[in-house]
Amino acid sequence: MKRSIPFLLLIFLITSGCKKEPAEEPVTIQKLVLSFDFQVDGKPLQRDTLCYVNEAGNRYMVNEIQFFISDVRLHCHTAEPLLLDAWTSIHYVDSDLPGTWRWELFDTIPAGDYDSVSFTFGINEEKNQSLMFLNPPESFMFWPEYLGGGYHYMKLNGKWLDTNSVAQPFDFHLGIGQIYAHYPDSITGFVQNYFNVTLPNSSFTLPVNGEQEITIVMNIENWFRDPHAFDFNQWGGDIMQNQEAMHLACENGWNVFGVKL
Amino acid sequence: MGDKMLDFRFLILVGLVFLSSCKKSETPADTWHATPYEVQIPFGFPTILNIPEDNPMTVEGVTLGRYLFYDGRISGRSDPDSMMSCGTCHIQANSFECGINHPKYTGGFPFGVTGKPTPHVMLPLVNLVWNSSGYLWNGLVSNDNPNPSCRNIEDLVWMGIVAEHEMASDTNRAKQLIQSTPGYPGLFYKAFGSETVTVKNMGRAIAQFIRTLISANSKFDKYLRGEVQLSPDEIQGFILFTTEEGADCFHCHGGDGNPLFTTHLFYNNGKDSCFTGPFEDPRDRYHVTGDPMDLGAYKATTLRNISVTGPYMHDGRYATLDEVIDFYSHHLVWSPYINPLMHHIADQGVQLTPTEKMQLKAFIATLHDKAFLNNPDFGPPERFPDEE
Repeated sequence: MKRSIPFLLLIFLITSGCKKEPAEEPVTIQKLVLSFDFQVDGKPLQRDTLCYVNEAGNRYMVNEIQFFISDVRLHCHTAEPLLLDAWTSIHYVDSDLPGTWRWELFDTIPAGDYDSVSFTFGINEEKNQSLMFLNPPESFMFWPEYLGGGYHYMKLNGKWLDTNSVAQPFDFHLGIGQIYAHYPDSITGFVQNYFNVTLPNSSFTLPVNGEQEITIVMNIENWFRDPHAFDFNQWGGDIMQNQEAMHLACENGWNVFGVKL
Repeated sequence: MGDKMLDFRFLILVGLVFLSSCKKSETPADTWHATPYEVQIPFGFPTILNIPEDNPMTVEGVTLGRYLFYDGRISGRSDPDSMMSCGTCHIQANSFECGINHPKYTGGFPFGVTGKPTPHVMLPLVNLVWNSSGYLWNGLVSNDNPNPSCRNIEDLVWMGIVAEHEMASDTNRAKQLIQSTPGYPGLFYKAFGSETVTVKNMGRAIAQFIRTLISANSKFDKYLRGEVQLSPDEIQGFILFTTEEGADCFHCHGGDGNPLFTTHLFYNNGKDSCFTGPFEDPRDRYHVTGDPMDLGAYKATTLRNISVTGPYMHDGRYATLDEVIDFYSHHLVWSPYINPLMHHIADQGVQLTPTEKMQLKAFIATLHDKAFLNNPDFGPPERFPDEE
C-alpha cells in the first residue's frame, strides 16, 4: 500500500495538470484579397481612344496607368485600425500587367465586422526610398533623385485634343513635389504629395476561415473633376515639376477610388 | 568443403559485380558535371536575371560560348572569305555593335555574307541578362512568342545562321563543321555532358557568354557608388537627363533608379509622321503586337557606351550623338501614334540650348565603360580549340 501512494500521487498530479491547461483556441485563417479595376464615367476603361471628355471640356484618351498603393488599413469602431503590412505594405498596379491587378494580403486578420478600408495613395515619406525596388516594373517607376527621389506614385499617360484639335500627349505623373527658388532650377524644398484614401461603402464582415475580395476601382475622370476642373490646355502635358498642378491633382484624388465588394 | 567452395565463388561474384560497377561509374555520362557560373550583380542593378531554366550558366558553357561567338565556322563555312561569326559584326570595342568605324560595314550598316543588308542597324549586346522584354528592335524574340524556337538569346543563334542578311547558311552545315573541328567535341562535353554538337547547344553556349557581358563600371556607376565626383557640366547634364523640363530622357532610358539606362520597352519617339504604304516597316513593334499604338515603335536602346554604338535609331539615320540630341531638341515629328511620353511634341522637342546640349552630351559620356570595352574575358580568344 505504501508503495502505491507515490504512484497515485503521480497520476493525480498529471491529471490535475491537464485540467489546469487552458483550452486551445482553434486556429482560424481569414484572408483579404484586393483586386483593381479602372473605370471612366462608370464604365470599363476603353484605352487608346479619344472618347472621353473631362470636367474642363478636354477630349482625352488614356493609354496606360501605373500606380502604387500602400499601408492598407482595416477600420473597426471597437478597435484601433489594423495595418496590413506583415508581408508587404506596398503594391504596384499596372494597366498593362494583369498579374498586378490582384493583391493577396497574407496578414493575420481577425474574423469580424469591419467598418471601412483605407490606404495610402502612393508611398509615405518613410518608405519611399530610392533603390528599394531594383527590379522592373517597379524600378521603372523611379522618381529622379534631383526631384525628390523615391518612386512615382502614379503615371497616368494619355493624350488630349488641344485648342487646335491636335492630340497632344499628357503625362499625369504624381510623386514628390519641389519648391523652386528659380524654376526650373534651384530647388529649395520638397513636398510629400501622398495622401490617405478612405474607401466609401467598404464595410464588410470577414467570417471565420473566410475570404473577402474587395475590388478597388479607379474612377479616372475624377482625377480631373472635383474640386478642381483640371484643364490640360492650362497645365500642359507634364506636371511632375509643377507642384501647383500636382497639388490640385492630389486634392482631386479624394473620390477617385471606389469599391466593388 | 563444398560449402567453403560455394562461399569462395560467392565472394568472387560479389567482387566482380563491385569492380564492374566501379568501371561503369567512370564513364563520361556518369561523371560529367559543370561548374556553376555566378553572375555578380552590380550596385543598383536588378536581382532578377533572364536565365532560362533549361540553360543554367556554367563556367564551361561560357568558355565554349566565347569560342563559338568568335569562330567564323559557326556559319558552316571554312573559307576565310565567307566565314562569319557573331563577332564579325558584334565588336567589343563598340559595345558589341559594328560601330560607325567598322572597316567593312561602312557607316555602321552591316550586311550578310551574300551582301544583303540587314533590315535595321544593330543593337548592342550589353547587360542582356536583365532583359525580359524581348530581343530585336521590335521584341519579336520573346517569351510571348508562340514559336518556342523564337523566345530568347539562345534562339538568335540559329536565326543568325540561316538569315540571308547574316550568315545565310544552314544549321546542319554549321553543326557538322563544329563537330569535325578538333577540340570542340570535348568542350561540348564539358559544357553539356555530350560530345555531340547540336545547334541547340551552340545557341545555349553563345547565350551564356552573352549573358556575361555586363557593363557596370562607367564613371557614372562609380559616381553612384560614391567613388568619384562628376564635373559641373556632367552634373548639369544629369539633371537635364532626369527632368521633364530638361531633356526628359529618363522615362524611357533610365537613370539613377534604373541603371540599365533603358526600360527595354518600345516607343514611337516621333521620328516619322507616316507608317503606311512605302513608309510601312514590317519590323516595327506593330507587326508583333498588332496594336495600332505600336506603329513606328521600336525598342529604347540602352545608353551605356552609346558614344561608340552609332549610327543611331533603328534605321541608323543619325551618325552622331549631336544629331540625336538635335533631333530630340528640335525635330520631333507628330503622328497619331507618338508615345504619350513624348509630351514635348507640341514644341517639336525639348528645346535645349547649345550649352545644355553640351552638358547633356557630357553626362551621356559618363556612361562610357572602358573596363567593359577592354575586358579581355569578352574579347576574341587567343586560339581556337583546334589551335590549342
